[in-house]
Amino acid sequence: MSQFELNTTIANLRDLRASDLSDYDGVYLGDIYCRIYEANFLEQLDDLKEGIRILRDQGKRAYVTTYAGPRNDFLPKVRKMLEASAAAGAQAVEVHNLGILKIAHDEFPQLPVHIGGFANVYTAPGVEVLREFGAVRFTPNYELSLDEINEITTACGAPMELLVHGKMPLGISDYCFLLDYEEKWGVKCPDLCQKELFLKQGDWAMKSVGKGILSGKDVCMLEHLPRLLAEGHRYFRIETVSETPGYRSEVAAVYRAALDRVAAGDGEVNEGWWETVRRHARIGLCNGFYFGRSGMDYAGVRPDAIGSLLTISRAES
Amino acid sequence: MVELLAPAGNLPMVEGAVAGGANAIYVGPRGWSRRRDQYEMSDDEVHAAIEIAHGGGARLRVAINTNMQSHEIAPMLRKMERFVSWGADGAIMTDVGAIAQVHRLFPHLTIHASIGANILNDEDVRFYRSIGVSQVVADTKLTLKELASRREQIDVGIEVLIHANKCYTYLGKCWMSPYHRLERTTDAFGKDLFKGSPNRGGLDYRVCLESWELYSGDEMWEKSVALKNDAFFLLADIPHLIDLGVQCLKVQGREYSVPLVERMVRFYRDLIDSYLAFPKGEPFNLSPWQLRLAAIQAERDTSRSDGTRLLLAEARQPVGAFRAD
Repeated sequence: MSQFELNTTIANLRDLRASDLSDYDGVYLGDIYCRIYEANFLEQLDDLKEGIRILRDQGKRAYVTTYAGPRNDFLPKVRKMLEASAAAGAQAVEVHNLGILKIAHDEFPQLPVHIGGFANVYTAPGVEVLREFGAVRFTPNYELSLDEINEITTACGAPMELLVHGKMPLGISDYCFLLDYEEKWGVKCPDLCQKELFLKQGDWAMKSVGKGILSGKDVCMLEHLPRLLAEGHRYFRIETVSETPGYRSEVAAVYRAALDRVAAGDGEVNEGWWETVRRHARIGLCNGFYFGRSGMDYAGVRPDAIGSLLTISRAES
Repeated sequence: MVELLAPAGNLPMVEGAVAGGANAIYVGPRGWSRRRDQYEMSDDEVHAAIEIAHGGGARLRVAINTNMQSHEIAPMLRKMERFVSWGADGAIMTDVGAIAQVHRLFPHLTIHASIGANILNDEDVRFYRSIGVSQVVADTKLTLKELASRREQIDVGIEVLIHANKCYTYLGKCWMSPYHRLERTTDAFGKDLFKGSPNRGGLDYRVCLESWELYSGDEMWEKSVALKNDAFFLLADIPHLIDLGVQCLKVQGREYSVPLVERMVRFYRDLIDSYLAFPKGEPFNLSPWQLRLAAIQAERDTSRSDGTRLLLAEARQPVGAFRAD
């Protein structure tokens, strides 16, 4: 095993097959926001089994994620999905909802559980409670700073999985406002949320995937990877569930190369890497909450690097 | 008997809520609850609130429902010990680690899982029951059918918000506000404050209520998109909730004026009492109640829209530059 794990999220079999995963170590299968997301792995269980097989054949870790806002009527399907995941050899299930954690613990104890970013891990005692229910890896709530995350790991030694690049989840709803515009736009569900949609007002921007609201800017921790590795973090997520296969593979190549270089003792960021991440960031780059500031802020030695090449090229033309 | 639970953001509001007929009041210690600090109380004020509530025959619950930091658990427990010694009747909490530790130290204290715990399904309820929670606040998006399932299947007290906001997102699973503006400060007692993050005890800038333009790529598709975040009063559902056996009907609103909160509480006290005194099986006429509620709602709407305008303006200020009047 390499010194770190780089993973991502893919919602359906089409995207999995279209993606070059060579720079990833693992993939979470499924869309956590919506049951009728196009061909969602969490609803298409034959696709899910096939997805797990594809990943395992490629030597990747096959993880399955679960819904972040499951109501009672989701639960029968969740149970079937967990059963199918365990049977197909999934190596872990990610849970964002503590009811699903209880189901996984009580009914599928052989499935290791990763705690997702919507499960609200804020404290070390909270981690200890979740461990009693079988959790082995934790994505801290996105609102936590690196100092606060380290406070947890120091207190209880829990392995943390950090979002290092991509759109940060900001919220989840039970209602898709895009459906209000189906007729007007002439675009129907499930194609609606496949469009690249941004809510903007002044310099504010958020990405909409219907029931999910994501950061407009891409979280980018490229120049902070030395700190993350030095602080003992080993599990890194590039969030690409709403991105193209090109984004998925090119950004992963940057982070794989950067992490390899940092692990070898060289933390310098290649100019070509900046060009790649800026080219894929429509709105720009940010650090999320890792430095205790507003989530859309960027703290780093390269503030000039955080703009979007898309925006800059439009302005120049 | 269903309990009417009322908010109090200051001591006169405790008195007003008791006078209005609340069975229970909840207050938030400064820096530790899901409201900005001006609607929270010092520990001495919490002590006084307990005495006022008990003197009026009401229970007093303490909302310590921020998602706190790891190192804040120990001071939280010391704070809780004081509140319990003063006679607090329950704690409203969110963080599962904090809940488990409070339950371990104070096994007889009633712990309510806060709205911020975002309890959505029956298995969620079972999880929280297993760590010491005895009452849960139902998410505002749940239907009567989902509540009925909970009541039938699980031995747990259900609290339903009858005056509150229904956000676009699930409450407790949204950080849109601090994404746009987060201001961290430390108060005189060393408590970290997170202005902009409701989950962490600061105010919510209500950025969802901004008039958003919607773009697909470079093309504007809509000039103004609203992510619905409506304040509501329940009325027609109240008889059904009482019949369902809901334990607690909760009014939110620590940020409103004392007279408005007292009117809300008095309205629901009268409605509940009238319904309970009404012969079972007879049609209960809601028309007069609708008229009375409309006047309260108009006053609430004015106050809320003023508040939203100020919050959105504050959210645009550079961090550190804003000074509240």
